Amino acid sequence: MVATGRPSATAAPTTTTPPKVSIAKRIGLGGGLLLALGALAVLAFFSIALGSRSITIGTVFDAFFDPSAISPDLTVIRDMRVPRTLLAIAVGAALALGGTLLQGVARNPLADPGVMGINAGAALAIVTAIMLIGVQSAGGYVWFAFIGAGISTVLVYGLAATGREGATPVKLALAGAAVTAVFSSVTSAVVLANVDALNEMRFWQVGALSGRFMPVFWQLAPFLIAGSALALFAGRPLNTLALGDDVARALGQPVALTRSILFAIIAVLCGAATAAAGPIAFLGLMVPHIARFICGPDYRWILPYSALLGPVLLLACDITGRVVTAPGELQVGVVIGIVGAPAFIALARFRRLVQL
Amino acid sequence: MPEDPSGKVSLPLIVDRKTTPMRRRTVLSSLTALTAAALVLAGCGADAKDDASSAGGAWSYTAGDGKTYTADKTPTRIIAHAYAAKALMEFGIKPVGIYADGKVAEDVGLQGVDFTGIEILGEEWGKIDAEKAVTLAPDLIVADWWPAEGVYSGQEEGVEDSAKKLSELADVVGPAQGDSIVGVIEGYATLAKSLGADAAAIDSAKATFDEAVARFQAATAAKPNLTALAISPYDDVYAVAVPKYAPELLDFQKWGLKVIDPETPDPEFPYWESLSFENADKYQPDVLLFDDRNAPGGQEKLASQPIAANIKAYAAGAMTNWPAYWLHTYTDYTAQLDKLTTFIESADENTGE
Repeated sequence: MVATGRPSATAAPTTTTPPKVSIAKRIGLGGGLLLALGALAVLAFFSIALGSRSITIGTVFDAFFDPSAISPDLTVIRDMRVPRTLLAIAVGAALALGGTLLQGVARNPLADPGVMGINAGAALAIVTAIMLIGVQSAGGYVWFAFIGAGISTVLVYGLAATGREGATPVKLALAGAAVTAVFSSVTSAVVLANVDALNEMRFWQVGALSGRFMPVFWQLAPFLIAGSALALFAGRPLNTLALGDDVARALGQPVALTRSILFAIIAVLCGAATAAAGPIAFLGLMVPHIARFICGPDYRWILPYSALLGPVLLLACDITGRVVTAPGELQVGVVIGIVGAPAFIALARFRRLVQL
Repeated sequence: MPEDPSGKVSLPLIVDRKTTPMRRRTVLSSLTALTAAALVLAGCGADAKDDASSAGGAWSYTAGDGKTYTADKTPTRIIAHAYAAKALMEFGIKPVGIYADGKVAEDVGLQGVDFTGIEILGEEWGKIDAEKAVTLAPDLIVADWWPAEGVYSGQEEGVEDSAKKLSELADVVGPAQGDSIVGVIEGYATLAKSLGADAAAIDSAKATFDEAVARFQAATAAKPNLTALAISPYDDVYAVAVPKYAPELLDFQKWGLKVIDPETPDPEFPYWESLSFENADKYQPDVLLFDDRNAPGGQEKLASQPIAANIKAYAAGAMTNWPAYWLHTYTDYTAQLDKLTTFIESADENTGE
């Protein structure tokens, strides 16, 4: 529905939420959530048990039930695979929730952190940190990535929010594209001139979960967890926003305020996730669509599904990357692109996705 | 929703002309032309210009490609690959122009060379400013000959056409890379002599170098069980160098240091065995040798990995750098050997397994 600028009271529909879900369907959806949780648990176990180094199941249990045991196998499990798995779960949930919120608030089925300038902002902050301060480790540039992502989110929202009708979906998309373009070209300019920045960027750019250990997880866990928790409560406002600005306003929702709060949550989620694992493409785009495919248009269901399916997908891709090229590894960003694109196309063919 | 824009899915940023070839080179191994060029099959960059040379000329040199090049008078306007230039300059032969595989100032193999007064024709692999090269009116081009690929440095498959043009300006010559750095240096000494270098100075540099080799051999002989592993940790790869393709590592082996031969070199790029960090404790040497082109980055990379503590040599602090793929002069080799000798003398041969 086109925003006419003249909210009309007669447009108010009779329901404020999507049609009531039947009891049977609710039980089905609830069961589905449990199923997803189970899948996540299984994958988390595989993520700890499988990898480019072969470790017996017995040793895996030792790592948890025999704290006194010490061996290289246990180092790999405790200090490399466990942090990596925790990070995958937190990042997967954050990206999926961030993507869901972004698609809902921007009412754009193609919105993901890449479109809204978030990745571009994080990348620019990282190269700036490398160039100006000489930061070289993942733990060091996490904060810069986070700040960069935050700044670009605020910038995109600020640009879109100027003008009378506020941050409309069209203006958000345009502002996102513009900010991405500017930040990307500045990043390119820096990287072309600075070999250190290029080398660090090259790796960060792909999106990877390896090489980031407990410190990185602890640095970002508060943001990832708090952001995810807040996002899970955004179902009702998102449902209302989905009806269009005019209707939402007519229903008494402060549209601009709601948008800015949701954007703040998005900035925290995507910023922290991108800082932790690099710009992982597709996840934030694809998972909301899968969730919507399963449970229909009600965001109160879409959000918890996204929160579980995001980590499921990210872990599955990460495990694949570790196993297929053993004894080497393939970065999760690469796997998710290879696996994700065809899956996404299939999904798009299967259903009309662009209904938001 | 009619007002929905079709949002643009942006590609990961900085996909541009520079990142891609750089990425390929660095991912494949590390940073030199040696590695960058190694994948390509035999090219034909060295179309000999035998027809252009006149028999019985005043200058003659048998190059690494097996051909003998001659000229009426000794060449004086030389364009050289930066490493070749360093080798020639050590013997007093100064080229008029050079081309390098990367930034001259940042290349560990080009430290301490004064290139003032020499035109720099390129600082990126595969790129040589042929137009500027023409204005220098060169009468000889000097670079390493790579027997496996059948090309000289700078003429490999994959370089820009303008770089290939260089070989049309004058004969390209140089000694062959092989299984020893000593052979390469001696090859440059022979070339330099033919170009008018002072033979006495060369002999004296060689004598100093031979003493360094003797000290190195004495140090390794005192520690017959000392094992070393040459590595280059980068990104999420623990790359172990294969001595067969690293002439300086072959030299070390010849002179008594047990440099470990990795069991399963990467099939498509046998210069390295690439291990994930989960498997970084596969080899347990007494000492670790880090690729010095990426120092101290390589050590920092390994330090950030929890498994580092399970590599006994790392835990014991038994590590140093190795001059990786760039040695071309007696002076450099002497200095590097002396450093390694001191390191070996204080190393413990019971650190690893």
